[in-house]
Amino acid sequence: MDIDPKQYEQIKINDKDSHNIILSYLIHGCYKETLESLVTSTGLKVTNAQLEDMEKRKRILHSALEGNALDAIHLTEQMSPDLLENNKDLLFDLLSLHFVELICSKKQTEALNFGQAKLAPFGKVQKYVGKLEDFMGLLAYVEPEKSPMFHLLSLEYRQHVVDNLNRAILAHAYMPSFSKLERIIQQATVVRQCLSEELGKDVLSPFSLKDFLKRS
Amino acid sequence: MGGVDSEPPSKRRKLKQSSMAETLADDSIGSKRIKKVEFVRLIAESLHSFGYSNTLSNLEKESGIAVSSGLVNEFIKLVLDGNWDESLNSLRKLSVLDESVVKLASFVILEQKFLELLNADRFIDALRTLRTEISCLSIDQTRVRELSSLLLCSRGNVTKPKPKQEVIIDLQRLFPPDVMIPQGRLVQLVEQALDSQQDSCSFHNSVCVDSLFSDHNCGRSQIPSETLQILQEHQDEVWFVQFSHNGKFLASCSKDKSAIIWEVSLDGRLVVKHRLLGHKEPVSCVSWSPNDDWILTCGVEEVVRCWDVQSGECVRIYDKTDLGMVSCNWSPDGQRVFTGFNDKSIVMWDLDGNEMESWKGEKTLRISDLQVTGDGKFIISICKENMILIFDRGLAKERLIKEDYNIVSFSLSGDKKFLLVSLVNQEIHLWSLDGDVRLVAKYKGHKCSRFVVRACFGGVDQAFVASGSEDSRVYVWHRETGELIKTLGGHSGAVNCTSWNPVNPHMVASASDDRTIRIWGLKGLNSNHSCMCRT
Repeated sequence: MDIDPKQYEQIKINDKDSHNIILSYLIHGCYKETLESLVTSTGLKVTNAQLEDMEKRKRILHSALEGNALDAIHLTEQMSPDLLENNKDLLFDLLSLHFVELICSKKQTEALNFGQAKLAPFGKVQKYVGKLEDFMGLLAYVEPEKSPMFHLLSLEYRQHVVDNLNRAILAHAYMPSFSKLERIIQQATVVRQCLSEELGKDVLSPFSLKDFLKRS
Repeated sequence: MGGVDSEPPSKRRKLKQSSMAETLADDSIGSKRIKKVEFVRLIAESLHSFGYSNTLSNLEKESGIAVSSGLVNEFIKLVLDGNWDESLNSLRKLSVLDESVVKLASFVILEQKFLELLNADRFIDALRTLRTEISCLSIDQTRVRELSSLLLCSRGNVTKPKPKQEVIIDLQRLFPPDVMIPQGRLVQLVEQALDSQQDSCSFHNSVCVDSLFSDHNCGRSQIPSETLQILQEHQDEVWFVQFSHNGKFLASCSKDKSAIIWEVSLDGRLVVKHRLLGHKEPVSCVSWSPNDDWILTCGVEEVVRCWDVQSGECVRIYDKTDLGMVSCNWSPDGQRVFTGFNDKSIVMWDLDGNEMESWKGEKTLRISDLQVTGDGKFIISICKENMILIFDRGLAKERLIKEDYNIVSFSLSGDKKFLLVSLVNQEIHLWSLDGDVRLVAKYKGHKCSRFVVRACFGGVDQAFVASGSEDSRVYVWHRETGELIKTLGGHSGAVNCTSWNPVNPHMVASASDDRTIRIWGLKGLNSNHSCMCRT
């Protein structure tokens, strides 16, 4: 149960703010066509340069998500030259996506060669050793899906890397790494948790967006 | 026993009876009910390792015990040859083994195969082995991961395959012991027995290997007790003797103002090598340098002289005007000389005769001993009549050993961890210096109330304590138990000092007021005997 739903009525939201929230969400997710529609309907301003960048970013992210990590790396380097240089963790993650792709395509020998050439140098730095062992371990299994490291083959993992890439590219261009919508939901959740701790009882359940939307 | 019909029936019956008797016989031996089957198999394993295959098969026939599994031997041989694939086949034939043991053993073998391929840069083959043979065993996933990352060979040294012998040992640990008998098990049991016998022998003073035919029992016969030689070169009371570290020389010094270096010849007899003349006062002690190249002699309240052992020449005189020296010794690295003075101070010198450091104030007494230990860090001396000072010269810290009676002399063990302190109340106290300083043992029986009498450590593992005595005898105690084992008679004057040859546990020297030095050894010993076992 919420504290007092009627209190919501008191708060007025500016239309412009709402539009901005949606805008930032669409930019973050590279939803170009939707963005163009919104711009036409609301009179918000978006420059051509912004749209072009968004298009490039979209291609990069799609490549990576489809398992085409090498393309993604190449395009990233074109768009934001020293981004991966300064973000070795991300570079490693992207290279490992390619490695995983090779393994899933049953190309063990290629995977081994790729690993020796591109991933091995990371092994000199202590923090990558564990991850490196995990990936190399996949090579040992004829059915990698059944190995203890199967999560590295999953879509969730790929999505996670792609999200990191997205944030890195945005940050590099001095844009916010998190969309405003995301931030607002995060804020609400945290506030809810704090309140529930203060009141000391399980009066309030953890924030669930789904339930909240249903109720209203 | 395969019936052949042409054999006369009576013979067949007899054979049958004897084999039945064999199987019905008591299957344990000895008072501890050792299993006969196991005992026979141990013998078989030894025969196998000596290569006596005929005897081995006879043993199997006569005992009726299947001693060696041909399959297991075949398996071992294949592993030692590094024939991994064949050895795996052989392994699977061993039906007596548990499924889990087979898997673990296979893993051990395949790991070696993998490492061999890796070291030969055959990455694709190694990968195939890993994928198709190793990971499907579904054991030790952590190790599988590690092996996989070795394929990167970017982490410096690639792990080398183990020596085949080690692989056998690893496999032995996995197999039940009655399937693969640990190699050399019988020898191991015998060695355990020998150790046990030696531990309980309190007179153990021999480095020779025992015969297996009778129990180890040194008996008192291993303690030197016969006078082998009387050295009569000194003109007056002999106050000090000491063997060199390498046991090849003996140094003695005397009230006659001289010191003598004796050489121990191959037949065990001592001959004069050099007479060291030059002191103007009686010489109270000698000290061998750690490498035995030089010797220090100390004239009573006079100077300290350093002599070259090979040439017999005096190469240095350590002297301080208006002061007399009372003791001398080397630092453990042989680069520094420490001397005690009659003004109770101690000085450290370098080999060229330059004074490096000095410590004043009640550090030593007149006529006293001086030892330096701990890499030159600690100086041990008698600082008061009943106290020994262990002085840490680096930290300027002091530890004291306090006795109830006056101390006449002390002596340090070879490992520098123990101190033997001779007291005027006719007791010798053994102190431990390792960690806390504490009294460990006491030795009694000898006479020491008026003169300086010295004690020393000696024998194999320094298991004995010897001391001179005012009653003209040499006394020998067992260090661990404090038991007085022997007294050696022969001298006609107080025995002032003894020294046990560090390299020959059967040679002891004693110095006496009767102007002679006696060399003691084993009864009826022809000195060419084996016990120069250590060179």
